[in-house]
Amino acid sequence: MSCDDAHCITCGDDGEPERVLAIDEARGLALCQGQDGARESVEIALVAPLTVGDTVLVHAGTALARLTDADVVV
Amino acid sequence: MRYVDEFRDAALGRALAGEILGAVEPGRHVKVMEVCGGHTHSIYKYGVDDLLPENVELVHGPGCPVCVIPMGRVDDGIAIAREPGVILTCFGDMMRVPGSTGTLLEAKAQGADVRMVYSPLDALRIAKANPDREVVFFAIGFETTAPSTALTLKRARAEGVTNFSCFCNHVTIVPPLRALLDSPDLRLDGFIGPGHVCTVVGARPLEFICADYSKPVVVSGFEPVDILQSVLMILRQLADGRSAVENQYRRVVPYEGNLRALEVMAEVFALRPHFEWRGLGFISHSGLKLSDDYAELDAERRFAVPGVRVADPKACQCGEVLKGVIKPFECKVFGSACTPERPIGTCMVSSEGACAAYYNYGRFARERVVV
Amino acid sequence: MSDTAAREARVLDIIETARGKRPKFRDEQITMAHGAGGKAMGALIEGLLLPALTSPALDALGDAGLVGVGGAALALTTDSFVVKPIRFPGGSIGELAVNGTVNDLAMAGARPVALTLSLILEEGLSAEDLRAEVEAIAEAARAAGVAVVAGDTKVVERGHADMMYICTTGLGHVDPRAALSPSALRPGDRLIVSGPIGAHGTAIMLARGEFDLDATIVSDTRPLWPAVDALLARAGAGLRCLRDATRGGVASVLNELARASGVAMLVQEAAVPVDPAVAGAAELLGIDPMHVANEGVLVAAVAPEWADAALAALRGADGPDGGAFARAAEIGEVRTSPAGMVLVETGFGGRRVLDQLVGDPLPRIC
Repeated sequence: MSCDDAHCITCGDDGEPERVLAIDEARGLALCQGQDGARESVEIALVAPLTVGDTVLVHAGTALARLTDADVVV
Repeated sequence: MRYVDEFRDAALGRALAGEILGAVEPGRHVKVMEVCGGHTHSIYKYGVDDLLPENVELVHGPGCPVCVIPMGRVDDGIAIAREPGVILTCFGDMMRVPGSTGTLLEAKAQGADVRMVYSPLDALRIAKANPDREVVFFAIGFETTAPSTALTLKRARAEGVTNFSCFCNHVTIVPPLRALLDSPDLRLDGFIGPGHVCTVVGARPLEFICADYSKPVVVSGFEPVDILQSVLMILRQLADGRSAVENQYRRVVPYEGNLRALEVMAEVFALRPHFEWRGLGFISHSGLKLSDDYAELDAERRFAVPGVRVADPKACQCGEVLKGVIKPFECKVFGSACTPERPIGTCMVSSEGACAAYYNYGRFARERVVV
Repeated sequence: MSDTAAREARVLDIIETARGKRPKFRDEQITMAHGAGGKAMGALIEGLLLPALTSPALDALGDAGLVGVGGAALALTTDSFVVKPIRFPGGSIGELAVNGTVNDLAMAGARPVALTLSLILEEGLSAEDLRAEVEAIAEAARAAGVAVVAGDTKVVERGHADMMYICTTGLGHVDPRAALSPSALRPGDRLIVSGPIGAHGTAIMLARGEFDLDATIVSDTRPLWPAVDALLARAGAGLRCLRDATRGGVASVLNELARASGVAMLVQEAAVPVDPAVAGAAELLGIDPMHVANEGVLVAAVAPEWADAALAALRGADGPDGGAFARAAEIGEVRTSPAGMVLVETGFGGRRVLDQLVGDPLPRIC
């Protein structure tokens, strides 16, 4: 896929909210589930400690932030 | 899904569009730049600009890390890919970016082993699975992606993977923004801040846009409701004569950023004195290289990289398009020498770039009428 | 008109002229993009193959060529299969090799009659793998109601093919009820898909295991003649054109039809059926399901007064409970302008252009 094809993760500086399903603390990874069920393992060093059930923002296989309820839609 | 569905709600979108209509000063034409390619993509995917009044214009910024890579760096990546025994891994969107003699996709067709990955960790996995090969990760991206690369390099060292290295092309967002703002002919009224970059660096680094240039900035999420809400917040600042950094994306972005990510980046990377941007030229302190501590994982030290600078074609006016000074069709090479199939400048390389979108969508892009 | 406006109008005219022209093949070598069903492949076909091999049947650029032999209206088509891996959830290369070709016949309104089968095998391929694929071919041919009437086998050195490639050629009998053409679309016509989209390409991508991503998605490979038969029986008079949405996905099919007929299309994104697992995986990978390959989904353009009949025909084509086509849906309609363009009204309420890709994100999908 290319920039002039569909959009791509880095090109769009994309981020996906994903739910944490399981945590492998020894390896610093978590199994996360995106919208509608797809799963991937995610590097969690930047957001640990996490709890199963947390929602994290994943970019290029790395969790960058844990989501909170801070936003109020006007 | 929570944190997603409520920000794609069509009724909420219509309500915001109505508020925007009420918030924009009649007779004034407002240009807002969305800095990040991710916003450009959402705007395109959901048709957000279709919901804005005619006098509120979104200008696509320099935020696609692929499109800003200069030709010389692509050439260097191809040279590494052609070294015997090398597997070059990169994000898929790098594959078709033109260097001076071709693309990585073409190098692959000529026998180079170029593989697409979705994360730097995938590249490290390939290295571990191919211990007799040299695996190089072609790293690109802003501060959003740089922490992933940094963590992967730390992991490679911790796991003793010696056949892995990184060709580092990470860039930083503030210097190009400053370069844009410094141009005397700039025609922008406000900025939609790059939400995911700010997840890492925080919102504070954008304060200079308000302090030094008196333009409003709203750090925004990427769902369509986020973007409309951010446009509205910018319009309200303009109406009040204010310019401040506001954070629309608080569910993700802490004002201070992710300190651990900044630490790991500081450990693994060092600023280059200057880095070249396609369409924008050399910008000081805008690129990252591996720090001396990580020299052994630096592909630029491991392989003979030509490092030849290839000048942007003179006729290309991407800089002016980015600044909102000219429209794509006013560029001398638009549609003739520069087309989506054979792009010259950054705005034509990405389908979401201003020029490519204008070329592909032509009259619809201007008139937006379906009969 | 101001100078700027005049210049804009002039540039838009130049672009539209350029876009309307047959694409030129100017690349210096073949890359994976040339086989991916997008613009690069279009340039190869229309810029190199068509000019050299031109014939009325070929120039129509249908899924199959139409040939009259002694008063019989026949459809002839051929297709090669290089999918990697050869087995994937929901199917395998052998099943694909039959379904892909009989579907190309069906899209020409032809009942599949006979196939030829050509096998290219890599030295070292296990007999077990080969036997499994031959059985898959036999089973798929039975299911599609075609006979394999001739064949060929070649073996190449290890490393010169990836396990096995299959080429099938199909012969079909054009149904007298079919009057189909990609240039027959008229404003007001309705666009129908026969079921949920994007499953095949996503299943293959996940089956390769290159992405550390886990989701349960099954290829949709299936013969489409039963669906076409039902459409011809109950809405034949209103049927303008049929296409199976393989490489390049539904987006490519719609763009090709819009250009061939010189019309615009407006698609309602919310009406397009996509399985949640496919939508989720596509979102994670940054791909639009509209661009993902299918192997058992057709797109039909139907005159408006026949749209309901066509939908009912599809939904009943695979047994009383609907089966494979239960989720057939009307996804949009044909408009006048902007001609040659496909627009999508998003669930959010905005509109965007749905373009063809230069190349598919996924090589070797079939």
